[in-house]
Amino acid sequence: MPSDRLRSLPILGSRVGEIEEICAKYPDRRSAMLPVLWIAQNQEGWISEDTMKEVAEIIGVTAAEVYEVVSFYTMFHQHPVGRHHIALCKTLSCAITGAHEVSAYIREKYGFDSGKNISRDGKFSIEEVECIGACTEAPAMLVGETLHGDLTPARIDEVLGSLDKIT
Amino acid sequence: MPVDTFEKVYLPNIERGETETLQQYRAQGGYEAVRMALDMAPGKIVEIVKDSGLRGRGGAGFPAGMKWSFLPKGVYPRYLTVNADESEPGTCKDRPLMEQRPHALLDGIICTCLAIESELAFIYIRGEYYNSADVLQKAVDEAYEAGLLGADVLGSGRRVDVVVHRGAGAYICGEETALLTSLEGYRGYPKLKPPFPAVSGLYGKPTIINNVETIFSVPLILTKGADWFKSFTHERSTGLRLYSVSGHVKKPGVYELPMTVTLRELIYDYCGGMRNDHDLKFVIPGGSSVPWLLPDQLDTVMSMEGVQEAGSFLGSAAVMVMDHTVCPVWAIENLAAFYRHESCGQCTPCREGSSWMHKILMRIEHGQGTMEDLDTLASIAGEGKPNTGMISGRSICALGDAAAWPVGSALRCFRSEFEEHIKLGHCPYKNKRFWMADGKFVNESFEHRPSWHH
Repeated sequence: MPSDRLRSLPILGSRVGEIEEICAKYPDRRSAMLPVLWIAQNQEGWISEDTMKEVAEIIGVTAAEVYEVVSFYTMFHQHPVGRHHIALCKTLSCAITGAHEVSAYIREKYGFDSGKNISRDGKFSIEEVECIGACTEAPAMLVGETLHGDLTPARIDEVLGSLDKIT
Repeated sequence: MPVDTFEKVYLPNIERGETETLQQYRAQGGYEAVRMALDMAPGKIVEIVKDSGLRGRGGAGFPAGMKWSFLPKGVYPRYLTVNADESEPGTCKDRPLMEQRPHALLDGIICTCLAIESELAFIYIRGEYYNSADVLQKAVDEAYEAGLLGADVLGSGRRVDVVVHRGAGAYICGEETALLTSLEGYRGYPKLKPPFPAVSGLYGKPTIINNVETIFSVPLILTKGADWFKSFTHERSTGLRLYSVSGHVKKPGVYELPMTVTLRELIYDYCGGMRNDHDLKFVIPGGSSVPWLLPDQLDTVMSMEGVQEAGSFLGSAAVMVMDHTVCPVWAIENLAAFYRHESCGQCTPCREGSSWMHKILMRIEHGQGTMEDLDTLASIAGEGKPNTGMISGRSICALGDAAAWPVGSALRCFRSEFEEHIKLGHCPYKNKRFWMADGKFVNESFEHRPSWHH
C-alpha cells in the first residue's frame, strides 16, 4: 500500500504517521482495526461509511469487513452523537440504586424530547448501556471519557451543568 | 469494620485512590520480582506458581500454573494476553488495580512473560475503562524508559514488549477465545475448544490468557513465597481475594480478604450491613452469571469450594446484594436483558434462548404472563446448574450457561413470586420503572419517585 495514497485520505490522511506506529506494534496489521477505529471516532465523534472505507484502505481489508466490526462493538457510533455523550449504566447494581431515576432526571432536565437520545440543542446525547464496571459506586455514568459515580441530582447537575456552560 | 490481622498487598490504600508512581513502587521493592525471575529458569517460576495453588481470578478459577504448563514445548513465538475486559456485571476490582497500581501489574506481566517465554504481551482492556487505559499506557512508557520493558529487560538480554489494546464495548470479549479474535481485529466471536489457546491462540500461536488480578498475584508469590500465599487457604482456594461488593449494603466497595470470610461477615461486618437496615432478599455471589443465594445461606464460606457447596459459584467474586424492596422477577428481567444484548449471536440456543427468556420475563413482570410461561421458561433455563435446559452446555462458549443459570436459579428461589405476578396481573412491588428502548418507560403509571439513596 503506497503511503502517499493513504496520506491523501480526506478524513484520516493526516493521522497516517500515528496509525503506522500503532500498526507496527502488532504482528498482524489487521489487529490495528480497533485502535484505528478509535482514532477515527475520537476525531470525528462517530464512524461514517466514508470513514469505514478509509479504515478499510488503511488496514487492507474490504469496507464490508470494517462494517462487520463496527456494527459488533456497541461503543462505536454509527450515527452522530451530541457534543457530550452520556453512557449511563442500566445493569442490576445501578438499576437497584436509582439508574432509572438518573435517566429520567437527565432526560427531563437536559432537553431530551420523549424517545430521543440527543438533546434538542445537540449538546448532549444519552445511551442507557450495559454494565460499565463501576458497580461499587452505583449508579454511574460515563460522560465522554470520564466516569462519574454515586450519582444524585446534585452530582448530575454539577457534572452536566458545568459542561452546559462551556459549550 | 473488623480489624484485619493480615497485610493487604493488592490494594493497601484503595481509599486514597491515587496512582502509585514508578518511584513509589520501586521504593517498596517493586520490580524485585523481575530480578528474581531473571535469575530463575522459566520452569522454576511455573513450579512456584503451581505450588502456590494460584487459581484464575477472572471467573473460571483454573489453576494458573497448570494453564502455563500446557504450552507446547519448543513452539515460538508465544504470547501473553492480560484479560482486562472486566465486564461481568458486579465486578470492578481490576479497575482499581490498574488505575492505582499500574506498575505492579507490569511487574506481573514481565514475570509471567519470563515464566512462559513470551516476548510480547497484550493488555486487552475494555473500552469503557478510558482512564485505566491512559494510566497503563503512561506506566508502560515509563517502564520502557526505565529499561524494564523492551529489548533488554534490566540488562538481561531478554525482551518483553507490552501493548495496551482497547476493546470497544462487548461483554463477550472477556471470554478468552473471543478476546483473541477481537484482538486480531475481528468481531469478538468465541471459538470452539480444543484447540485451547495455550496450543493455538493469538495468530494461531501458543497464547496464555490470564485475568489482571491473577497476573498481579505472580510477583507477590515470587517475592513473598508460595507458602505465604498458601497461608490463606480454604480447601483448594489459596491466597487473598478481591471481592467487589455492590448493591444495598451500607459501604459498597472492593474488599481484599482471605477466602475464609463468610458471606455474613462480608455483608454485615465489612460492608456495614444492609442499607437503611433493610432485610436481605438475595445475594448474587460471583458476578451476574451465577445462581443466587438466599438469606439462610449467609454462613457460606466465600471460597470457590464454599460457594459451590452452597449451589453457586464464586466466579469473579463480585457480590451483588439485594434488599427486600427488590422484586426478583424485575431483577432477573434486568439480567436477562443484559445477556440478550451481549449474546454474540453465533449459536442459536444462546442467541434465541436469551431473547426468549427475556421476552417471557418481560411478560410476567408486566402482568401478562401465564402459568405456561413458567414451564416454558424453566424448560429453556433449566435448573440453574450446568447442562440443564435448552441453552446450558449447547453453545460454543459459556455465555449461554451464564444467561440460563441465573434465570433457572431465580425460578427455583422465588417461584411463588413469579406465580403471584401472574395471578395478580401486575408486579406487587412499587416504585419501579422499566426501560423499553430509547429511554421510554413501560410503566407510565409510576407515581412516586423513590427517595435517592445517597
